[in-house]
Parts: sequence; C-alpha cells; structure tokens
Amino acid sequence: MISFIIRRIGYGIVVLVLVVLIISSIIFLAPVDPAQLTFGQRADIETMEAKKADLGLDQPLYVQLGMYLRDVSPIAVLKDTPENLAKYSYLKLIPLGQKVLVVKWPYLRESFQTGRRVSDVLREAIPLTLILALSSILLATLIGITLGVIAALKQHSIFDNIAMVVSVMGFSLPSYVAAMILALVFGFFLYNYTGLNVQGSLIVLDDFGDKKYVWKNLLLPTIALGIRPVAIITQLTRSAMLDVLSSDYIRTAKAKGLSEKKVIFKHALRNAMNPVATAISGWFAALLAGAFFVENVFNYQGLGLVTVNALLTFDIPLVLGAVLFTAAIFVLINILVDVLYAFLDPRVSVGA
Amino acid sequence: MSEKLLEVKNLKTVFATEDGTVVAVNDISFSLNRGETLGIVGESGSGKSVTSLSIIRLIANPPGKIVSGEIIYYPKDKPPVDLLKIPEKDMQKYRGNDIAMIFQEPMTSLNPVFKCGDQVAEAILLHQHKNKKQAKEQTIALFEKVKLANPGRVFDSYPHQISGGQKQRVMIAMALSCNPDILIADEPTTALDVTVQKTILDLLNELQEEMDAAQIFITHDLGVVAEIADHVIVMFKGKIVESGTVHEIFTKPKHPYTKGLLACRPNLERKVKHLPTVSDFMDFTQNKNGEFDITAKSTPFIENAGNEFTKEEIKARYDFLYQQTPMLKVENLSTRFPMKKNLFGKPTQYLHAVDDVSFVVFPGETLGLVGESGCGKTTLGRSILRLATPFKGKVIFEGKDLLQLSNQEMRALRKDIQIIFQDPYSSLNPRMTIGNAIMEPMEVHKIHSSTKERKEKVIELLETVNLSADHFGRYPHEFSGGQRQRICIARALSLNPRFLICDESVSALDVSVQAQVLNLLTELRAKFNFTYIFISHDLSVVKHICDRMIVMNKGKVEEIGYAEEIYQHPQKEYTKRLIASIPKGLKGNKRNV
Repeated sequence: MISFIIRRIGYGIVVLVLVVLIISSIIFLAPVDPAQLTFGQRADIETMEAKKADLGLDQPLYVQLGMYLRDVSPIAVLKDTPENLAKYSYLKLIPLGQKVLVVKWPYLRESFQTGRRVSDVLREAIPLTLILALSSILLATLIGITLGVIAALKQHSIFDNIAMVVSVMGFSLPSYVAAMILALVFGFFLYNYTGLNVQGSLIVLDDFGDKKYVWKNLLLPTIALGIRPVAIITQLTRSAMLDVLSSDYIRTAKAKGLSEKKVIFKHALRNAMNPVATAISGWFAALLAGAFFVENVFNYQGLGLVTVNALLTFDIPLVLGAVLFTAAIFVLINILVDVLYAFLDPRVSVGA
Repeated sequence: MSEKLLEVKNLKTVFATEDGTVVAVNDISFSLNRGETLGIVGESGSGKSVTSLSIIRLIANPPGKIVSGEIIYYPKDKPPVDLLKIPEKDMQKYRGNDIAMIFQEPMTSLNPVFKCGDQVAEAILLHQHKNKKQAKEQTIALFEKVKLANPGRVFDSYPHQISGGQKQRVMIAMALSCNPDILIADEPTTALDVTVQKTILDLLNELQEEMDAAQIFITHDLGVVAEIADHVIVMFKGKIVESGTVHEIFTKPKHPYTKGLLACRPNLERKVKHLPTVSDFMDFTQNKNGEFDITAKSTPFIENAGNEFTKEEIKARYDFLYQQTPMLKVENLSTRFPMKKNLFGKPTQYLHAVDDVSFVVFPGETLGLVGESGCGKTTLGRSILRLATPFKGKVIFEGKDLLQLSNQEMRALRKDIQIIFQDPYSSLNPRMTIGNAIMEPMEVHKIHSSTKERKEKVIELLETVNLSADHFGRYPHEFSGGQRQRICIARALSLNPRFLICDESVSALDVSVQAQVLNLLTELRAKFNFTYIFISHDLSVVKHICDRMIVMNKGKVEEIGYAEEIYQHPQKEYTKRLIASIPKGLKGNKRNV
C-alpha cells in the first residue's frame, strides 16, 4: 500500500514536470514582451532591460525553463542571499559552498499585471472555487445516485424512461448555456420572486470595503455546474445497479430472507459504487480546476475567472501557476481515488 | 410413516423471451418427506434450477413468472401453507429460516465487500432473537460444524481471501444457520474440483444424518446423485420424465432419456470405441403446443461386444504408436507469473505455474493432461503454443525449438498446431457468421487461392463436424453449446493441422453433448491421424479418449503413463486421492443401498 502510494507520487511528479515544460514552452514562445506588460507604456528603456534581466528573459529558452522549474520545485539549490531568502522564504538543508540546498514552497513568481505574488492571487481564488466545486458535486452525487437507484429498481418504467431521456439531455447541455439560461430566468425574469442576482461572487466588498459573504450567489452557479455530473452519475448508478442486482450474491442475500430494502441499500449499493466513485472524482477534479465558462458568466471570482482573465492579459506567471495547480489537483485526486477503491472493494489490492 | 414436508403440485413457470413465452417448468408435481434427500437430475434447460428457485420464490420477475400450481409447505406444529399464495413480506420469513438454499457458484454467491462471518451472522440476526455477540459465537460454531479450519480467521476474511471449497462451506453454514426444514442445494459441487467435491458431499451427507431436515439436491451429474439421494427425479425440457428411488433409477431405468443419460458418461471400467449418446436412445420433436414428443429407439450397438476395445486391440495400437519417433518434445519447461512487485515494479515473488516439466508426444497418440484447477495444465498447453511465455526450457516440434523461432516463423508453424478452447460461448465472435469465422484463419495463412475454394473447404469442414452447408451464413447465437464447440473444432481444422491441443474442450458441455463431441474427436483422429494433447479435469473423460496421461499437481508432473495403468495402479498419493474422489455411483450411497 505504502509503496504503491510512493510509486504513484513518483509518477505524479513526472507528470507535473512534463506539464510545466509543455505549457511554459508554449507560453514563453508567445510573441509578447512581459516587461512591457508589467510597466505599461510609460517605462524607460533601462527599467525595462533591468526587469527583463530579472525575469531571465535575456536568456535562451532552456535556461528560462530551468529557472522556472527551480522556482516551482519544493527542493532546489540556490545562492544564499538575503534577496533570495525574501523571494523564496526557504529553509536551509545542506550548505554547498556558496550555494545551499533548500526546501521551500513552490515560488510561482509575480503577476505581470498587478505585481502581486501569484500564490497570493491563487490563495484568494481557490477557496471560492473549492466551495463551488464541493457544493455542486455534493448536489450532483445526492440527486444522481438517488435517481439512478430508483431508475434501476423500476427498470423500463415510465420513471426510468423519463430519467434516462432527461439525463441524456442534461449531459448534452453545455454548462455555459445552462448558466446563461439560469441567470436569465431566475436572476432576471423571476428576480422579483427569487431575489437572485444575475451576476455576483460569493465574497463581495460592501460600501465600506469590508468583505461580505453572499451565499445566495452560490446557488445558480452550483446548479449550472451540477447538471452534467447529475446526468452522468444517474446513468452510471443505474447501469451499475442493474449489473449488481442480477448478480449471484444478491440472490444469496434474498435467499437469506432479507427485506428488499436491506438487499438494495446494504448489499447492492456498495458494490455499485465503484464506477460512480470514478465519475464523481473525475468531475470533482475538473470542477476544482475552475469552471471557466460558468464563473465567467456569473462573474464568480474563482480560479476559472482568474485564469481566463490572466490568459486575456498574457499574465504568464498567473496562467502557469493556475495550470500547475490544476495538474497537481488531478494527480492528487487520482491517487486518493485509487486508495478509496481499496476501501470500497476489499478485492482491490493496491500492492500490485 | 415419514412426515411430509413439502408438496409441489402442477407447478408451471414461464419466461418471457424475445421469441415469445418459454415454458421452463411444465406442470410438475412431487413431494418431499422429512429426513429425505431428493435428487433432481437433468441437463441444461431441463428446468431443474427453475424448479428450485420457484420453491423459494426467487424467480426474477420479469422475465420469469410462476403461472400456476401450488407449493405447500408443512411446518412442524403449524397448519400447512401454500407458499405461492402468501405476500412477499411473509415469504421473507420462510426464506433462509425454514427453506434455505445453496447455489452453484460459490465464487460469486458471496458478497465481495462484506466479511464471510458477517454475511452468515446477518441471517442469524434476521431470523433469531439474538444479539451480535451471540450471533458471532453461533457463526463460529457453524463454521466448526462445516469443518472450516480456523473458523475465527474465516469469520474475518473477505470472500476473495478464501478458496472455492471454503466459500461453499461458508454458504452451507449460512444455509444451516437457522436450522431450516428444507435445504435446497443447486449444483453445489459443480464448480469445484473433484477432491473438494468429495469433501463437500461427505459433509452434506453427515449433516443430513444429524439434522431433522430434508434436502433437494439438484445436479447434472448422475454419479453424484447416485451417491447422495434417496429419491431421484429426472427432468427433460421442463417435464419430469421419470421418478423413483435411487435404486430403481440406476438399476432399472424405464425412460429412454434416463437410459441415455446413464449410458453416455464415459465408463471408467471399460474402454468403448463409440460413446452412446441420448440420441441413440430417443428422438424428440416439439409439437404445436410447444411440448416435446419423445419416441424411444432400439439401441443394438451398446451391448455389442465389438464396441469395446479388447486388450489385444489396445496393445496393438500402443505397439504401433510408441515405436515411432516423437513428434513433440517438451524439455524442462517452466512458466512463471509475477506475484509481488517491489517499489520499482520489478517482480520479487513468482507463481511457478509450470515447473520444470518434460515429456514427449508421439504422432497419432492422444496424451491426456489431468489435474485440479490451478495445477498448471492450461498454462502448460498455452506455453507450448507460446500463448504464454515460458522463461526456461525447450519445446521441440519436429526438430524445431518453438521458443527460439522468430514471430514470423512461429506464425507459419501455427497452422500445424491448433488449440480448441474451453468455452464455446466466448471463443466465437458474435458478430461474425460461422462460415466467415471458419474461413478467417485460412485467409490469414493464405490457404487456397480463391474465396470460392475456401468456401467449399468450409462447407466440407462443416460436414466433417456433422453440421451442414446451410449453417454457413448463421451467427453463433443460433447454435447450441455442443454445436458451437463443433464449430470451434471445424475452425481449428481449417488449417489442416496435425497437432491439436484441446483445453477442457468438453467440460462446459452437457453429458450427452459431451459424448457427441468426444465421438467426433475420436472419429477425426482415426480419419486424419491427428495427434492430441487433451487437457481436462475429468479423469473419466481423459481415460476414455487418451492413450497415455500426465497427472499434474502444483505445476509439476506427478505421474506419466498409460491411461489404464495409472487408473488401475496409481503410484503417487496425489493420483490415488484424485481417483478416490470420483463419485462411485450407487456403491458410494451410504444411506439406501
């Protein structure tokens, strides 16, 4: 088990390094001048050149990539200078002559646009996205599993047929279309009844500049994001339940004299959860990566909106930071799901 | 007189299929007394399992439905009850409590995500007023009763952590947990090795004597039923064709179907040239009402002395076979599979499936390979063909070491050596007509120049395996299991091989169909001088068809020699145990005879 997790983390690191190399080489090759982006039109040549040297933009591409990798790696060899200490806030491990081996948090550099540290920008956006992702995946799981179980138990009934047609429709509905329809109907036409806003983030600044939580702003984005996962979870639960219900051990459970309810909820449901868990975790990771369109439609200040805005303004460090975070989330959730399988199904031996 | 426990009257169960309603159980009646074991015998499709599931009302609905009849249960000190007339809620009180069931597939009959002990304790908690601690104690006592070694550990094991035989013991413990009046065992030993089967049958016999209950024992295996039953019902296509005491059925069978079933099992005591089949005893046709009309046939050749091999005939064959130079030499062959891997994915522990095995095969002979599941016989067959990769040893086929050949050379040689697999259901592509399936290998190996010639060859092959030309354009699902296996044989023959490996090729078939396929293999051997390696777990089948046999155990060769020789004078302990485990028929029945 432990060696399995170590191996998976190893693979994960390889994946992350590849992600950094591929994304950053695309972006570093883009025809923009970050120095100019940072200072706008008014800077003089010397300042621009100094900034370029600071960012390593006068170096060849592979050196730039190496520098970025050094910045994001949690273990690195650095010159032990006060500037570096302020920049990376590292912990010294082993001194190596002039340089020193250190551990540190990944340093994601500073935004070209605002000059703020990327990690600070992300730290503000991620909790908002996390809450949104959690609430929509919870909603989707609850509704999806319930509908799927009922549809499986009443296979070929009217309920089953309607649930299947609706879920295919739900799955075919792009989330940004759903978002716009929801915003328009419930936030605009029916505003007098619902009191919901067309746009708005979870945290807004009030007139005095204080942060205020507006929980009702979570509702529409949650629904918009939840529609497709609900559809797929319903379908998967239904087919897995049908599979399990026709298995021999369900017949054994019935032959014991167990009631229908116990057979379904104790013996069948747990066995049907494996494919559903895969789908839920996949969607959750995708939602955490930022719901680009939906956050954009609702102007919800999460990771998706931050990433989209960064792309529009060529804010390269911010884009890289967001992509790296997304990739890390995927790797992490995949490892967690593999461990979860072992708990769901004792036959899964993660050692192999 | 004995006390009546269960009475089935005019039971009729139907299934809705795409082609209309199929009557699975057609108007059958029987009764069961306390202390009795009733055997229900029949082949697949006879309705024996549907009968048992109807009694406990576990027919999946839809598509199945009990349309008429009565199933009357006579509980002790209570008025009789018709199980078909009570609501489902009341039925749940009888299931598991008064009527318990053991199923065919111990591998899949236990829920994989719960511990074995909890699954048994669940039944106790459900029907008896006990707390969890008492239920656990009772479960462990039951595990001791069904002779599970280390009951405490089994209690905490998940089903995948214990063997098939142990799982079936857990199932028996579960069935016995509430002291049922009636125990229904549906093919409880079919999926198990013969040595495990013996221990389970002994256990059921013992428990029967101990308990004041009745058993319904459902099986396709006449040898088993002769050993365990008091009364026997023979079913054919949903009807009871004959019933009587076990003695009557086995010594004086009246119905041609019963006679056919009894005759078509390969007999261990004599070696016949042509196995009788059910169709030698009777013909049947479906009439307008969907019922089957049976006409008996006279069967002269069975008693005909010429059908049995004489000692001289056998000796002459051996003298001819074994003065030749061997066709295939297997030397120190070993195949292993990684069991555990270290941090870097490098295997640290291996399962030695085939461990240093050497033998030779002579042209025209049939070499049997017997052993229990997991003994490595299938891996050995696959290793010879390089379908599994051996890590050591040589496989010399007519002077060439198959393991040294390049993939291209091997591909050219594959047409000389063909394999016929166990499961005729999954080894044919469902979307390919059988004609094309048989033609495909010829196209791959570029045998015959034109499609027309190949088609002619396919038709010739279909006729060789007793099918006809108009089967060419049909799909596999239109054929029965026996027909499909013959199609697989035709496909193997399409490349004119000289060497055939039959991997459990008749194991999945009903006994009467098995007899047909065995006869076909024997005929082909005489016609084309084929050499066979015949892999099977069934010693009587191997003894019937093989000249020599190899007994395998744990990847190693235990014994090798003439089939009769090994059967009559086994040298090794393992072989002796294997032979002793074969059901003895009436001789083995401790209760009645």
